[in-house]
Amino acid sequence: MALVSKARTEKRAARRAGEMGARTEYLAFALAGEDYAVRIAHVAEILKPPPITEVPRASPTVLGVVSVRGRLVTVVDLRRRFRLPEATVDGLPDRKARILLADVGRGEQIGLLVDEVRQVWRLAADEIEPANALGGEQPAHIAGIGRPANGDGIVLILLDLHPILDSP
Amino acid sequence: MRSVLVVEDSVSVRAFVRAVLEAPEFAATHGAVTVVEASCGFDAMRLLPRGPYDLIVTDINMADINGLELIRFIRKSAHHHTTPLLIISSLRGEQDVDRGIALGANAYLAKPFTPEQLRQTCERLLVAGKPALREPAPGEPGRGS
Amino acid sequence: MAEGGGGRDSGGDKARDEFFSEAQELVDGLGRDLLALDKALKHGRTDAELVNDVFRGVHTLKGLSALFGVTRMAGLSHELEDVLDDLRLGRLELTAGLLDLLFRAVGLYSRVLSAEKGDGEEPSSEIEELLAALGQTSQRPTGGAGGAVAQYDLDPALFGVLTEYEEHRLRSNIQQGMSLFRIKVRFALATIDSALDELKASARPHGEIITYLPTGSGADVDTIELEILMAGRGTAEVLRGAITGPNVVIEEVRRRAAATSALPAAARASGAPAVTPAPEAPASTVASGHMPAEPPPGVVATPPARGSGEARVPDATSSGDAMAVAAPAHPTRGGTAARGAAGDMSLRSVSQTVRVDIRKLDLLMTIVGELAIVKTGITRLSERARSRAADPSKLAMELQRLNRDFDRHLAQMQGGILEVRMVPLGQVFDKLARVVRQISRELGKEVNLVVTGAETEIDKLIVEELSDPLMHMIRNAIDHAIEIRADRLRVGKPPIGTIALNAFQKGNHVVIEVEDDGAGMDPRVIAAAAVRRAIITAEEAADLSPREIFALVFMPGFTTRDVATDMSGRGVGLDVVKTNIAKLGGVVDIASEVGIGTKITITLPITLAIINVLLVEIAGRLFAVPLASVDEAILLDGSQVRAVDSREVLTVRGASLPICRLDRLFGLPSTRRAREYVVIAQVATRRLGFVVDEIVGQRDIVIKALGPSLKGVRGFVGATELGDQRVALVLDVAALVEEVLSPGEARFLPWQPAARRA
Repeated sequence: MALVSKARTEKRAARRAGEMGARTEYLAFALAGEDYAVRIAHVAEILKPPPITEVPRASPTVLGVVSVRGRLVTVVDLRRRFRLPEATVDGLPDRKARILLADVGRGEQIGLLVDEVRQVWRLAADEIEPANALGGEQPAHIAGIGRPANGDGIVLILLDLHPILDSP
Repeated sequence: MRSVLVVEDSVSVRAFVRAVLEAPEFAATHGAVTVVEASCGFDAMRLLPRGPYDLIVTDINMADINGLELIRFIRKSAHHHTTPLLIISSLRGEQDVDRGIALGANAYLAKPFTPEQLRQTCERLLVAGKPALREPAPGEPGRGS
Repeated sequence: MAEGGGGRDSGGDKARDEFFSEAQELVDGLGRDLLALDKALKHGRTDAELVNDVFRGVHTLKGLSALFGVTRMAGLSHELEDVLDDLRLGRLELTAGLLDLLFRAVGLYSRVLSAEKGDGEEPSSEIEELLAALGQTSQRPTGGAGGAVAQYDLDPALFGVLTEYEEHRLRSNIQQGMSLFRIKVRFALATIDSALDELKASARPHGEIITYLPTGSGADVDTIELEILMAGRGTAEVLRGAITGPNVVIEEVRRRAAATSALPAAARASGAPAVTPAPEAPASTVASGHMPAEPPPGVVATPPARGSGEARVPDATSSGDAMAVAAPAHPTRGGTAARGAAGDMSLRSVSQTVRVDIRKLDLLMTIVGELAIVKTGITRLSERARSRAADPSKLAMELQRLNRDFDRHLAQMQGGILEVRMVPLGQVFDKLARVVRQISRELGKEVNLVVTGAETEIDKLIVEELSDPLMHMIRNAIDHAIEIRADRLRVGKPPIGTIALNAFQKGNHVVIEVEDDGAGMDPRVIAAAAVRRAIITAEEAADLSPREIFALVFMPGFTTRDVATDMSGRGVGLDVVKTNIAKLGGVVDIASEVGIGTKITITLPITLAIINVLLVEIAGRLFAVPLASVDEAILLDGSQVRAVDSREVLTVRGASLPICRLDRLFGLPSTRRAREYVVIAQVATRRLGFVVDEIVGQRDIVIKALGPSLKGVRGFVGATELGDQRVALVLDVAALVEEVLSPGEARFLPWQPAARRA
């Protein structure tokens, strides 16, 4: 007795995707002035940051834990993780900061703090340049570069969440 | 040390009887007693050979082998032919109680009974080892209610 | 009623605990049996065995409650027992109205038990009402086929050992023209329970077992001979085919031609046609539910003779004779509905006991055995370590191995014990089925409850806490979501609404779904209501996804029960539900489609551990210290602190106590304060004082595990949510004491996982 239409919305999405040729959906966000994106399939939820409780003596990349409807989720500071400059006082207002609940299906969900969540891009294969084509040694978490055709020249750094979740 | 077999399918009632009979007060005045519990007729039949028991207390309304059939069985057995036998049952089954006495039970206590009533009746049956008269529980308005 | 209760000693207390446990089980069993009877009744049948089971249950409850001094329950049981006895002996007929009263009684039992435990008020006035209603159920004397019994070749002494009920069943079967059979069996006394269960199962499709008679002398203590008296339609051949075994002999009880009857001729003549061979219905006809108040004229009523049960007045009712009867009083809709909302019973059980599958205990014993082996290893190791010739690196390896083994077994043990706490959700689902029935009758909406996954197990404490929130949700669903029959038909839905309860395990969690095929929720309507109640602004509302909008119904102050705007949706009080579920470490989610239905999904951790902690403040942050490890908490007297060997030591009542400033240990900003406190922890023989800024208070908390991502962090066993999303970390006292008091060793040990979390 499936009353609720989760199945239906998924079917609709799949149909639309089929219409446009195989495309992958990426969620774009801003971090330290750069545009990043992750596969939306790996984002379980987007939250307004609740109070983050610091965990003493945890790794410096861990901001702390938050409670998500009763569950404890570890929140990672992506700036530290990616060794980006720290947020400055006159940076983006906190109001837009969000926590992405990353879930790669391996058990624990990790919260990623980002400056601002932008939009979802549907990238076709020819809009993605994989990491190994970028030359040089790329960090494990870089999956490639995305250049959406109708994106006004926006360049998205595509992230692979697996290494981030493996060692936050 | 005397032993009493209690046959009753309710856990709480067995616990209640055990609490009364194994209490220090009882031992002080009437001598120490061990209670052996059986939760049904078959259990009782398994435990009977481990006697002899100085007193058997049984309910009537039990599943499978009811108390009456058990009483008849007990009275036919070699070892418990004359063991004092007390029926604990509700007033409702008056006909049943009569049948029980007819089959050879010595006494009957109507549920609910007080600890004191249980103590006194058991003491009488244990001491005498002889059949006692059927005793209505205080408060029972005589036969037929 | 006499007062009982045992003594106020440990024997008596234990007996009282047993009472609550048994009473709860009996009440639960009654509920299930009544539901089954309800179902049967809907199909136009009654089940004599079920009725007898209900009677026995109430009978036992009566005895118990009287014995343990719960007079209200004893009184109620007494009345119920009368009615049930009449029912099972065929003097009364089971109607929907009567069944209603029985259901109400079961609900009242639960409340009385709770009140007895000190949780809630005794529902005295409702008991009075119910007693009055029961008192009005009238009784009609029944026909028995006194003469027919004589046709069978039965040992007259048989009647001396049949209880009144067994006798009734015998006569009832005879009256229906059944054949009687004697089944002689011999069983080993040791295995008789299972052997008998098998036999009963084989026999059941063929008829009804009346009684079991032990035959034989009882001289052989290992076996027992039984003669089983059974009534059935078939032949002995058929029975022999069904019931097999090495020691089984089946013969039919001979029947003579119609013998003379002791009854007056008129009675006999009318007795026969009045009997319908309905399968298990007590002695008579009449699906109309009417009961004549007295026997029709022309039939002589003879008083029952003692010991033989002969000569009951034959039942000469036929539908034509039905007279208006004092039907059991049915409360007015309004009254019950009001009471339903306010005086709703809680579905929690009063007993704290758990029935345990003995295999779970066996597993624990095995693990204890493994632990014993590790212990032996440690002993041997310590002996070897003492000898001069010991090789340190070999010892270290051996020790590491033992440590790993110990860890593993300890984890298994913990898992095993948590397993023991698990009970199937069916427990609470059964109770909900009763609630559904009651509410749907109250509100005049027909609702079907479909349950799947009742065997899914979850911690007993969670089950207890869950019953009320679930009841609330279901009540809401029936009240607000399920449309009335006319409306449903109009939109092409089946007239009977359905509520589906489903439960399954998903990894470390249990998921419970409550789904209805009612009107569903319209996000726009909900959002508008939320804006109107200033829960969110219109601007914020525009931003929310439907799922987030639905989640708004859990906000305090939210109700869509606004007749003027005619909404469908959930009613009051769901914020309490959400809070309760959050306290259990669970989450609630709503999905809905207008016109189709709504699905509420509750995700819970499989088990939870509640511990008592001391909340303290350090550097402006809250932490929790498990009280089990706390000796005491005192004000820090700075004058009594001395530095000894780079450590600080406090003199307390003449003794030295090492102290540790947690803000420094945790790398938190130190704030020099006028007043500081010391929480003195004790682990085994070692004591350590933790210096904190404030002592906030004592609390029971649910401890939640930190994710594997924080495995490496030492000093915390988990964290707890304090309310409105604030989180306090729970200190691992043992690890901290270890760390502070043995810094040397700690540095050389490889990274250790923190103590196991629940």
